[in-house]
Amino acid sequence: MSESILNIDSITKSFVKNIVNVHGNNEDERYFIIDDLDLLVPKGKITALIGGNGAGKTTLFNIISGFVESDSGTVLYNDKSNSINISKMKPEQIARIGIGRMFQDNHIFQNLSVLENMLIADSNTFGEIPINSFFRTKKNKEVEENKIEKAKEIFENIFGNNNSFWERKNDKAKNLSYGQKRLLGLTRLLMGNYQLLLLDEPSAGVNASIIPQIMEIIKSFVDDKDLTVFLIEHNMKVVLDIADFCCFMSHGKIAALGTPDDVISNDEVRKIYMGA
Amino acid sequence: MDYIFHIIILINIYIILTTSTNLLVGMTNLLSLGQAAFYGLGAYFSVLALMVLHLTIIPALLFSAICTSLMSLLIAYPSLRLKGDYFVLATLGFQLIIYTILYNWISVTKGPFGISGIPSPSLFGLLYISGIYSFLVLSSVLAAMVIYIFYKLIHSPFGRALKGVRDDELSLLSIGRNVTSLKIWAFTLSSGFIAIGGCLYASYVAYIDPTSFNLDEAIFILAAVLIGGTGNIKGPIIGAVFVVVLPELLRLVGLPDSIGANLRQIIYGLTIILLMRFRPQGIAGEYALK
Ligand SMILES: Nc1ncnc2c1ncn2[C@@H]1O[C@H](COP(=O)(O)OP(=O)(O)OP(=O)(O)O)[C@@H](O)[C@H]1O
Ligand SMILES: [Mg+2]
Repeated sequence: MSESILNIDSITKSFVKNIVNVHGNNEDERYFIIDDLDLLVPKGKITALIGGNGAGKTTLFNIISGFVESDSGTVLYNDKSNSINISKMKPEQIARIGIGRMFQDNHIFQNLSVLENMLIADSNTFGEIPINSFFRTKKNKEVEENKIEKAKEIFENIFGNNNSFWERKNDKAKNLSYGQKRLLGLTRLLMGNYQLLLLDEPSAGVNASIIPQIMEIIKSFVDDKDLTVFLIEHNMKVVLDIADFCCFMSHGKIAALGTPDDVISNDEVRKIYMGA
Repeated sequence: MDYIFHIIILINIYIILTTSTNLLVGMTNLLSLGQAAFYGLGAYFSVLALMVLHLTIIPALLFSAICTSLMSLLIAYPSLRLKGDYFVLATLGFQLIIYTILYNWISVTKGPFGISGIPSPSLFGLLYISGIYSFLVLSSVLAAMVIYIFYKLIHSPFGRALKGVRDDELSLLSIGRNVTSLKIWAFTLSSGFIAIGGCLYASYVAYIDPTSFNLDEAIFILAAVLIGGTGNIKGPIIGAVFVVVLPELLRLVGLPDSIGANLRQIIYGLTIILLMRFRPQGIAGEYALK
C-alpha cells in the first residue's frame, strides 16, 4: 500500500449495557464493539469499509472524528507534513486539521437556507466572532462575498450551470427531498479545507437514479481535489465501482482487506455478510 | 399624555429585555430562567455607578453592561457544558441565588428595603436626564440602538453560526466550530444588553428592590419572548408591546387592579398555551422552540 493518511492502531471500544439477568436483577454488562482493530487508510484513494449492521463501522468513524473516545489505542493522522495523534482531540479540532465528516443520518442545518448551509461550512470563520461581524464590516463583506462565490462555483462544477441547488439557494434545507439533502451534505464538504473525508453511507436511502451522481461526486473528490475518501457503504455496486480498497469489519476487527473484488469474493465475507 | 409616555418608556425597557433574551432563547435555543437576575444585576450595578462612582449616564450604562457580562461569564462556562434541561435548571439556580443575595446582603443592597433616591443621571455632565420627556428620549434611543445591534448580529455570520447551534450542534462540531464558545458569546452578549434595561429601569424609577428581579420577572420576560415570537427582530418587540399594554388595557376597561392582576396572568398563560398549540413560533417569530 502507498503512504497512509490514517494509522489506526489497536483501537478498542466497549459499551456498558444494563441488562436483566436470569435472576431478574439489573446488571451491567460490558460488550466490545471494536476489539483491537488496526487499519491503515491509504492517502489519495477511496477506501470502503463494509460490514453487517451493528458491526461498529459508525462507531469507528465516531472515534476517528472525536465524537466518541476509544478505550485504548491510537489514531494517527498524517497531514501533508507531520503526523498528529488525534486520539484525544475534540471533534471541532479534528475537523479543523482537515478531517471532514458526513453523517449516516442527515446532519445538515434544517432551518438554514441551502446557501447558508454552504456558507456556514466554510473553513474561514472570520465574521463568526461578533466583534468582526460588527466592527470590521468591510472585510467581513468581502469574506462573505467570496464564500458565496465559492459556493456558487462548487454547485456549478458538480451540478452544472443553472442547477437546482443554486436556484433554490434561499429555500430552507428542511424543504429539500431526502436525496437532495444527502447531496447537499456531500457538497458542503467542499467548502471546508479537508484532506480526508469520512462518508457514512452516502448512498443509503436515496433514489437509485441519484446514486451514479453521488459516485461521480465522490470520485471527483479524489481525482480533482486530491482528497482521500474513507467511506462506509452497504451498496456493493458502489463499492465495486469506485473504491480502490475495501475492508470488511467483523467481530470488532478488520477481517478481510484488499481490492473490492478480492474482499467481496472472499468466502468468509460472502458467508457472514451476503449469506451466500 | 404623560401616561402614554410612561407606557412607551416601559415598552422600550421591555424591548431591550426581550430583544436581548431572544439572542439566547430564540437564536441559540438556550432556554434561560435567569434573565431577571441579569436584569437585576444591571440595575444594581448601575446604582453603584450612579450613586457611588458618580458616573454620567453613558459610562454608567457601559459599567453595568460590562460588570453584568463578566458575572454571566462566571456561570456561562460551567452551565453551558450541561445539556438541555440541565442548562435550564442551572439558570434557574442562578436566578434564585442572585435574588437571595440581593435580598439578604442588606449592608450592600439594603435588601427588601430597596434603594431609593437614585439620582437623575447626567449626560456628559451637561444636562440632567430627569422628567418623563428626557427618559422618553433616552429609552427610545437605547431601545433603537439595541434593536439595531441585534439586527446586525442576527444577520451576520455570527448570527448564522448561532442558528447552527440551534439547529444541529453535532453538525456544527463536525465542521470545526467551537459550539461552547458560540454559546458563551450568546450568553454574555444577552446578559450585557439586558443590563442596559436594568440601568434604564433603575434610573427611571429612581428606586429598586429585589422583587422587581425575581423568578416571576424571569418567567415574565420569557413569556414576552415566547408570545411575541423568537428567532427574528419583530417577535420580541411585539412581545414587549403585548405584555406592557395588556395590563393597561385591562385597567382601561375598568377592571380593578386586584382582579386585573389575576386576569392578566390567566391571559398570558392562555396566550402561551394557545400559541404553543396553533402557532408555536409566537405571534411574529420565525422559529418554533424545540
Ligand atoms: N453510545 C452507545 N452506547 C451503547 N451502545 C452503542 C453506542 N453507540 C453504538 N452502540 C452499539 O454499537 C454497535 C455498533 O453500532 P454502529 O452504529 O457502529 O454500527 P454500524 O456498523 O455503523 O451499523 P449500521 O450498518 O447499521 O450503520 C450497535 O450494536 C450499537 O447499538
Ligand atoms: Mg452505521
